[in-house]
Amino acid sequence: MKKVLFAIAFAFFAFAGYQAFAQEPELSPERKQAIDSLALEKVRDLSKYVKLIGSKNTPWSEANRVIDRAEELFAPDAEIGVSSLSKTKIEYYKVRQYLERLMRLNYDRVEIDWYKIQYVSDLQRQPDGTYVGVITIFQTFKGYDAEGRLVYQDTTKKDITVYVKRKETQIGGRLIGFWDVLLGDMRVKETTNK
Amino acid sequence: MLKQLKSTVIIAMIALVTLCGAVSCNSSKKLSKKEYKARVEAATRDLNAILNNETEWTLEEQQARVNEIKQTDFSKKNPEIVEMIERAEAKIAREMAERDRLAEEQRLAEEQRLRELEEQNKPKTGLAEFFTMIANAKDVTTANNAIKEALKLFESPDAVVLIRLNNYGDYDRPTTAVNYLNYLKDQKKVNVGIDNIKYNEENKITELELIKK
Repeated sequence: MKKVLFAIAFAFFAFAGYQAFAQEPELSPERKQAIDSLALEKVRDLSKYVKLIGSKNTPWSEANRVIDRAEELFAPDAEIGVSSLSKTKIEYYKVRQYLERLMRLNYDRVEIDWYKIQYVSDLQRQPDGTYVGVITIFQTFKGYDAEGRLVYQDTTKKDITVYVKRKETQIGGRLIGFWDVLLGDMRVKETTNK
Repeated sequence: MLKQLKSTVIIAMIALVTLCGAVSCNSSKKLSKKEYKARVEAATRDLNAILNNETEWTLEEQQARVNEIKQTDFSKKNPEIVEMIERAEAKIAREMAERDRLAEEQRLAEEQRLRELEEQNKPKTGLAEFFTMIANAKDVTTANNAIKEALKLFESPDAVVLIRLNNYGDYDRPTTAVNYLNYLKDQKKVNVGIDNIKYNEENKITELELIKK
C-alpha cells in the first residue's frame, strides 16, 4: 500500500514539475537569436584574450588584466585541455592556471589564432531554465625561437560548453534582466600538425 | 547857457557810470559778510553730508563739489572747513580706489565666466568618439590615454554600463565604465550604439546604456 501511495505521489510531483517547466514561456526566435549571438560573441572575445595573453608583445600588466577578464568568462570550476603533438595525453588545467601558463610559454614569439567558431550543438533549454550548447573552435598555434624560426606548430579543434542563464539585478532602482553567459570546459577533440 | 547845462549833465552821467562800475567790480572780488556766511553754511552742510555718507551724489559729483568749495578761502576764518575738505578728499579718494578695485574684480570674474562659457561650448570629444579612438588605437599606450580621458566623463570608473541586446528587455551581464573601455581596447571593435546616458549634478555619467548594433 505504501509503495502504491509513494508511486502516486512521485507521479504527481513529476507531472507537476513537468507542467511547471512546460508553462515557462519559450523565447521568441528573435530573443533566442540574441542569446545565441551573445554566447558566440563571448567565445570570440575569448579568442582575442587568448591571443593577447599569448603574445610576447603584450605588456605584463596588460596581460594580467586580460587574464582577469578572460577568467570572468568561465564558470568557476571550468577546465581547459592542452594537447601537444609530442604527447598523447591531454592535460587539463583550471582556467587561471592555463592562462598563466599561456603567458609564460617558452618561445620568443607566439601566434595564436582561432577560426571556424561555430555551434556544434545549439543552445537547448534545460529543466532549470539554463540554456546549454557547445561551440567548436579551431586554434592554430605557432611558436618561434629568438632567430625567428618556427619551432612548433599545431592546429587543435576544441569544444567549449556554454551555459546561458537568465538573471536579474537591481540597478538605479530598476530591475534589469540579463543573460549571464558562462563558458564551461574546453575539451580538446583533435590535434594535427597543420 | 543850454549848451553849458548839457555838458554838465553828460559829465555827471559819466561820473556816475564810472562810480557804479567801480563799486560793482569791488563786490565781485570780495564777498560780503552775508555771502561768506552763506558759503560757510553750504560748505559745512555739504562736507558733513559727504563725510557722513548722507548724500546721493556720485563720487565724481562729491569731488566736484569739494573742488567748488575749495575755490573759497576758508583758511583764515574757518580752518575747520579746510580740515573737513581734507578729510572729504581723502574719503572720496579711498572710496574711488575701492570702487575701482571692485570693478576690476568684477571685470576679471566676468572674463573668467566668459572663458568658462567658451570652454563649455567648445566641441568636446564625445563618448562615441572615445569608443572609436580606443578601439582603433595604434598601441596600448594610445588606447590607455584615450581611456583615461574618456573616464573623465564618468562619475567614477565603476559607473554602471548596461548593454541591451534587443527591445525585449534582454541585457548582457552589466559591467563598469573602466571594464567596458578596456574591453574596447582588447577587442578592437565597437559594435554598440549609445542608447541612454544618465548624469549627476556635475554632468558626469552615472549610468550608460548601450545597444547592440
